[in-house]
Amino acid sequence: MNDKEKKEITVQDKKEVQTKSEPTIPGKVYLPNTDIVETDKELLVYMDMPGVSKEKIRVKIEKNVLAIDGEIDSSPYSNLKPLYTEYNIGHFSRSFELSNEIDQNGINATMTDGVLLLTLPKAPDKQPKMISVN
Amino acid sequence: MFRFSSALDTLLALQEAVEAASTSDYFGLSTTSRGTFPSTNLFQEGDNIILMAEVPGVKKDEIEVQIKDNLITISGERKNNYPEKASVHRLERHAYKFNRTMKLPVTVDINQVKADYENGILRVVMPRAESDKPKMIDIN
Repeated sequence: MNDKEKKEITVQDKKEVQTKSEPTIPGKVYLPNTDIVETDKELLVYMDMPGVSKEKIRVKIEKNVLAIDGEIDSSPYSNLKPLYTEYNIGHFSRSFELSNEIDQNGINATMTDGVLLLTLPKAPDKQPKMISVN
Repeated sequence: MFRFSSALDTLLALQEAVEAASTSDYFGLSTTSRGTFPSTNLFQEGDNIILMAEVPGVKKDEIEVQIKDNLITISGERKNNYPEKASVHRLERHAYKFNRTMKLPVTVDINQVKADYENGILRVVMPRAESDKPKMIDIN
């Protein structure tokens, strides 16, 4: 019972790792809270990005990946000494993979009060059709 | 839970589920630890106390700020308007009615308090009251 076989160290096969790309701008990046709601003709994406103004938002579609980046302006915080903190200040970034049901040319984005609303219309031939019975 | 014909298949499915969860955004960083709402920071700039709160999605006239002595209360409601007949895939933002009172380290001068709201961040700048500042006493 005391003979233990000598275990050999084996090299594992390389696994495919999905890494997120490394950031190049200074500052921490956080994930904005997102709601995704679907109606018959479109997909609505609401993202909470407090402190980001409309001009600092970048929405990009490449292949089928929708990437949203929001940059925060940290100058109002530069001379402040923190006494009590509950939230961190940083940029926002999140990306989603779109299915091919979305019409990529019709994507619309509006920003109010720190909330970004993306409207992703469904491709017309993918909308549910009602078939009438004769 | 899934039932597989062999225990090894169950283990493999479990391992794949854990890997999928770790590469998804579920465990990513968010600006706050999802505790109280709204998340509030208190800063000091010279003699001013500055309160900043993350309240995205709230309209300016739906926020109320009240100050008495060294207590500040912020209250309001955040409504989410989703279209009817919508099916939900993901719901991470919540509709909230909030009412929070915080105790400030000093008494503030109410007449000089300024508050502004931009892009979902409420900022209240409160100068310290003159009566609260320590006075130098000469020694004869």
